[in-house]
Order: sequence, then structure tokens, then C-alpha cells
Amino acid sequence: MADDEEFQSSSNREEEEEEEEGSCFYFSDQYDEDDDDDVNEETVLEGLEDGAEEDCHWSVSSVITKESLLAAQKEDLRKVMELLVISEQHARTLLIHYRWDVERIFELLEQKGKERLFSEAGVTIIEGKGIDLSGSTSMYTCNICFEDVCSDVVTEMDCGHCYCNDCWTEHFIVKINDGQSRRIRCMAPKCDAVCDEAIVRNLVSARHPDIADRFDRFLLVSYIEDNNKVKWCPSVPHCGNAIRVEGDIYCEVECTCGRQFCFSCLLEAHSPCSCTMWELWKKKCHDESETVNWITVNTKPCPKCHKPVEKNGGCNLVSCICGQSFCWLCGGATGRDHTWTSISGHSCGRFKEDQAKRTERARRDLYRYMHYHNRYKAHTDSLKQESNLKETIQRKISISENKESRIKDYTWVMNGLTRLFRSRRVLSYSYPFAFYMFGDELFKDEMTPQERELKQNLFEEQQQQLESNVEKLSMFLEKDFQYFSDEEVMDTMRHVFNLSNVVDRLCKQMYQCIENDLLYPLQRATHNIAPYKSKGLERASELSLCWDSDQSLKGMKTSNEDSSAQCDSAADGVSNAGVNVPAAGKRTGLQFHGSSSSEDSGCFSQKRARRDGPGDAPLFDLNVPAEVVDKL
Amino acid sequence: MLDLSRVQKELVECNKDSDISGVTLTLHAGAADLTHLAGTITGPLGTPYEGGTFHIDIQLPSGYPFEPPKMQFITKVWHPNISSQNGAICLDILKDQWSPALTLKTALLSLQALLSAPEPGDPQDAVVAQQYLRDQPTFVVTARYWTETFAKRASVGIEEKVQKLVEMGFPEGMVRSTLELVNGDENMALEKLCSS
Ligand SMILES: [Zn+2]
Ligand SMILES: [Zn+2]
Ligand SMILES: [Zn+2]
Ligand SMILES: [Zn+2]
Ligand SMILES: [Zn+2]
Ligand SMILES: [Zn+2]
Ligand SMILES: [Zn+2]
Repeated sequence: MADDEEFQSSSNREEEEEEEEGSCFYFSDQYDEDDDDDVNEETVLEGLEDGAEEDCHWSVSSVITKESLLAAQKEDLRKVMELLVISEQHARTLLIHYRWDVERIFELLEQKGKERLFSEAGVTIIEGKGIDLSGSTSMYTCNICFEDVCSDVVTEMDCGHCYCNDCWTEHFIVKINDGQSRRIRCMAPKCDAVCDEAIVRNLVSARHPDIADRFDRFLLVSYIEDNNKVKWCPSVPHCGNAIRVEGDIYCEVECTCGRQFCFSCLLEAHSPCSCTMWELWKKKCHDESETVNWITVNTKPCPKCHKPVEKNGGCNLVSCICGQSFCWLCGGATGRDHTWTSISGHSCGRFKEDQAKRTERARRDLYRYMHYHNRYKAHTDSLKQESNLKETIQRKISISENKESRIKDYTWVMNGLTRLFRSRRVLSYSYPFAFYMFGDELFKDEMTPQERELKQNLFEEQQQQLESNVEKLSMFLEKDFQYFSDEEVMDTMRHVFNLSNVVDRLCKQMYQCIENDLLYPLQRATHNIAPYKSKGLERASELSLCWDSDQSLKGMKTSNEDSSAQCDSAADGVSNAGVNVPAAGKRTGLQFHGSSSSEDSGCFSQKRARRDGPGDAPLFDLNVPAEVVDKL
Repeated sequence: MLDLSRVQKELVECNKDSDISGVTLTLHAGAADLTHLAGTITGPLGTPYEGGTFHIDIQLPSGYPFEPPKMQFITKVWHPNISSQNGAICLDILKDQWSPALTLKTALLSLQALLSAPEPGDPQDAVVAQQYLRDQPTFVVTARYWTETFAKRASVGIEEKVQKLVEMGFPEGMVRSTLELVNGDENMALEKLCSS
């Protein structure tokens, strides 16, 4: 009954619209089509639940510049120093060992206790040091060079091991040159203690200031390179920035230089493809371009429908699925009676049967690939027209704005255009996704053929619906609205507005379907995708640091004086928002973002929790008749 | 770069108590400097290596002792952590666990200890390791046979033959491979070396 009513009301609305549009005289041949669109838009809008909940997998990105790198590092160092009451160098050793994951250190502190936490990272704190070196006149035998040296030229490390300065220096240089600056261990056998960075710096700079500088740089960039939540921006030439992400690391980010990328694999933003899929796809596109060339050599377009037709035997009379026969040699259309025997001057029968069978499978695979690749490419190519289309529309808008009309606001056009580009992007990447999701390459054993077919059909229906709505949106946006009457403009605006909403929600729905219904159930593999961003990728914000300026920059000598000066001022600017660090061992009161996600932080292969909320329900129902949904 | 004075001290120190330790360290035959040394260890008592003397080739990198020495068995030995093909050794202190405070003598003593206590979990020679784990009796027999064949009198003799042929002007590598080819027969080796 309720359905009837709904049907009633929507058909009423249709009639009204029909009247409205009936008074229009333009595009009479599209009139009927437009009418269908209305039904589509409306019903889709009704059918789509507005997922009020935004992403559960939230992430916030911020940009770390050359200038703010030191300050960013200092902030984490300070958190650890204050909570554990340790020196900066011990904090750094801990942070390098635990990949700059402050939350994890606090977690492990509770789990393991201070002693194990320290010893596993190579932090040794011995209260009374073993050897008394105060009487500087005594002699000491160094156990490395076997020389007797004056005790004022020997150094004892925190772990209590003591050797002559020359040997220490040599050891440090070998390790720094070997790229091990971040974790230079003590020279004693089986001693895991990490050497005091101040001692390293002092001894090395006395002999090789350039190597000491390198040591400092290594420690500085450790914050980026030994940190799962910070990555260099992949721009070329490099903009000098790194991006830090808090929360979910499966996300797409935009650097302040404008470069957009997948934070997880550093390639271009590619959702709803997973990183693995995208990597494979890129490689495949590269490898197969050769094969695609083979196709262009080995197929000819049908003179009637222009589809590529492959020669299916030795005969030079080929026929297309549309029914048209044509001559392979000249490409010209032929009648049925135009057989190979009647073509003089060439011979047949060179084609070998077994070869046909052998190439059969390869050909099927290739056609499958081409099917997805063509669609992928079509949308990618459309995206390349982005700037052209923008310009054209900008021109139309300025014409419209200057004409006599009560309509002055045309922002809906640009909004619609932005939506068009975003959804085209999704659409184009959804083809490589489908190629791998329903192909044999990655998930051969994950689904039964029946399961796969069912899932594929349901996914493709969503995909097709998105595709047709995207094309419709595109069609409305390309209309010459600058010549329209106000009414017609209003009508176009309504279509663009509705279609924008529809494609936005269809995109979102597709992501949720991929995440919850397709990727989540996988047993043998873990694939994560970046969440759908209705508003597009957010640009990374400038790093806002909270720390007190007073004890800020003690002890850290950088090779770059400028940068440390900049950091000082940056620190002054935001000094009041300091983290209130409670007594050691207590975590309450510390405001760390995304603490709930710390469990899977840094582990790339881990499976994410399934999204909760409305998205949890199977999302296939949109287009599927009720009886099919019931069977799911 | 190489700390020559330390190496010289090590040479003296190591040979002080060779008869007790079962470890010797000498300059390699024909070596021009201190970077190429030769060591020997005696097979530990109560193991299939007992009674054998094992020769070890020692190369010192320029960063020694801050970089580990490169050691390799010259004498063929049947052991899970030593390649039966080329004598390469899988031992942590010769890799990332090296410490400058260790010496060539301690490294040789570690090799001796390795002969007593194989670590099949971290094998250099997968075939030997498999046999060690699955069929100890056969392993012991094979290891003892190899010790008898390669690490006893004959092999001591081999070093002398090598030195003699090297001193006649043949390259060492060629001398060794030829001697191996003819099962240590000095005359046949000389014949082959002259004809090649
Ligand atoms: Zn020394
Ligand atoms: Zn130590
Ligand atoms: Zn950038
Ligand atoms: Zn990626
Ligand atoms: Zn055709
Ligand atoms: Zn034919
Ligand atoms: Zn023809």
C-alpha cells in the first residue's frame, strides 16, 4: 500500500514536470529522455539514504616543511621526555626505536614497564658509573686498540663501557658512513646500548665536521623516514615538504605544493582501488600497451559499427557480431557471397588449429583487460579535458551574468562541474578495481564462481548507475545555458543540483560497498582503500605545534641555522597550547588524536575494522528488485 | 686505515698459548701485508671434527677492527653452518654482532665453539642442516669422514704442497683447485699446472 502511494505521488510529480517542460520548445528530441531522467533522479534520491555519519576512518594531515621539521620532532621528544623524565637523547633513542609513535611508547610503558621498554630500545641508564675517571693522571688500557692511554682521552658510555676516544671516533665514523646513525651501538660485545648522541657529535666533529653534520641530518630526517605517520611528499622536483597524518593512514592527501597522493603508497590518489591493485594495474597498462598494439595490428574496424574485429580463421572474409561481413584485406564491406575463394591473389589455410587453441586463453584475458582498460581510459581522457571544459563554462557564465535576467548567481554550474570531475575520477578508478576484484589474478580462491558472479553483477549495476548519472550530469553541464530563458536555466540548475547529489551519494555508496561487502570479507588478503571524500581531498594544514618555548631548543645543534631560528619563532607563536603532561605513567589528560587507532598504526598489512553505522547494511539494495535483496 | 699495530699485537697474543687454545694465527703464505692472514683451529674433542686441523682464510677490511674480519674455511668441512661447497661461514659475530672489542683469536675460538655446537636453525648449508636434523647418525659419519679425508695429515700436507707450488710461481687459487682436482697428488698437479 505504501508503495502504491509513493508511486502515486511520484507519478503526480512527473505529470507536473511534464507540463512545465511541455511549454519548452527547445531540444524537442531530448524531451522524452529528459523526462526519464527526472524519474531517475527523483527515485534515486529517495532510494538513497543520506548517510549522515561521516567517515569512521578519519585522518588529519598536516604539512611539515624544512622549517617546521625540527619543531615537529621536538614536540614529540618533549612529550616523551616529560612523561618519562629522561634526557632528550634517550627520548630520541626511544622514539627512533618505536618509529616516533608516542602513543605506542605510552602503551608499552604500561604493558612492559619502564625497564624493558628502555632496554629493548637500547636506552641504558646506570646510576653510579663504573670507573672513576676523575683523577686524570691515571693510565687506562683501551680494549680495542690495546694501547695504554691517559684517562682524560677515554670516554665512558651510559652503559658503563669505556674505550679511548680515537677508537670511539673511528667506530662512529664507520657506523655513520654505513647509514646507521640512528642507532649506533656501544662497541662492547653483546652490549645493546645506543651511544650518547652528544658524545658522538663531539668526538666526530673534532675530526670530521662534515660527518658530524651528516649525523645531525640523519637524526633530523629520522622523524620522517623512521615514522609510519610521516612521509615525504612525492612531488618532482621535490617541494621539500613531508606530510604527517594522524588517524587512519589509508588516506589520500594534498601537499601545500598542490601534489595529491595516496599516503600509503605515495602514488597518485587511486581510490577506490587498493594500493596493490593500483600498482598491478599501472604495471599491466605499461606491459599490455604492447599487446594492445598487437590488437590494433591484428584487428580491423568493422565498416558498419566500427568495433575491432579479429580475423577468426584463415579466411579473409570476416564477419562482425553486428552481422556485417567484410574483406580482411581491403577492409571493405562485402555481401555474404563474397567468399575467400573469390578473392584472387592470396592464399588461405596458413592458420594452424593448435595455435588457435593456445592463443585462445591469452586472447580472452586480453579482451577482458581491454574491456576494463577502455572504460578506465575513457573516463581518464574525459578528465584531461577538465581545464578546457572549465574555461568554456567560465565563458558561458560570464555571458549569462551580463545578460538581462533576474538570475545572477551561477555558482551551481561550477559546483556541478567540480562534482562531475570528482565522480568521474571515482568512476575511472572503479574499473581497475573491478578488473582485479572479479578477476583471477588476486582473488582466485577467495570466492566461488557463483559468489563472484553475484557480487560482480551487483557491483556492476551500481557502477553502471553511477556511470549513467555522471554522463547525464555531464550532458546538462554542457548545455548552452547562456542562451536559455530564466525558466530553462532554473530547470537546468535543478537537474544539475539533483544529479550532483545523486552521483555524490552513489560514489559514497560504491566506496562503502567496496569496503564492507567486497574487500572486508576477503580471507587471504587485506586490501584497504582511502575513504570517499565528498568534498575532495583536503589540503594538508600547516603544522600547529603545542609546546612551551622556554626549554625548546636546548641541546640540538642543527646543520641549518636558519631552520632552527625559524623554529624558535614558530614555537613562540603557539606556546600556550602546550600539552599538559600529567605525572609519569598516567595517560589520562593527554590529548592525542586518534588514540583508538594506535593499535593498527604502522602496520600496513593489517585489516581495518569494518565501518559501523548505516553503512554496515548491505548496500546492494539500491537497484536490485526486492526479491533479489531478500535472497542475499 | 687498518690498525696495523693492533693486528701485530693480536698475532703475538694469539700464538702465545696456541697449544692450549688449539688456535693459531699467521701471516698468509705469500701475503704482502697484514690484511691477509691464515688461521687454524683444532677440531673439538668429542665431536666428529676431533683430530682434525681446520685452515681458515682471514681477510681484514680496511676498517678492521671496526668492521668484522672476513673468514672462510679452506679445509672442507661437513657442518650445518659452513658451506660444504666453498667454506663460507654463517656466524653472527662475523656479521652484525661483530664488536671491535672482539679479536681474531676470539673469532677463531667462536668458530671452534661452532664446530661443537651447530645451529641448524640458521644454516649456511641447507643440505647438511637437513641431514643434521633428520638423521644424526649419518651426519656424524659423514662429518667424521670429511674430517679424516680433508682435515688430517693429508690436508696438513696439502698446505705444504700449496706453498711449494705457489713458491714455484703459480697463482694460489689455481694451485688449490688443481690439487683438489687430483686429490692432492703433487706431481699430477704440477703436470697439470705446467700443461695449462
Ligand atoms: Zn682505543
Ligand atoms: Zn656498552
Ligand atoms: Zn609537496
Ligand atoms: Zn596507494
Ligand atoms: Zn559491425
Ligand atoms: Zn581460408
Ligand atoms: Zn574485398
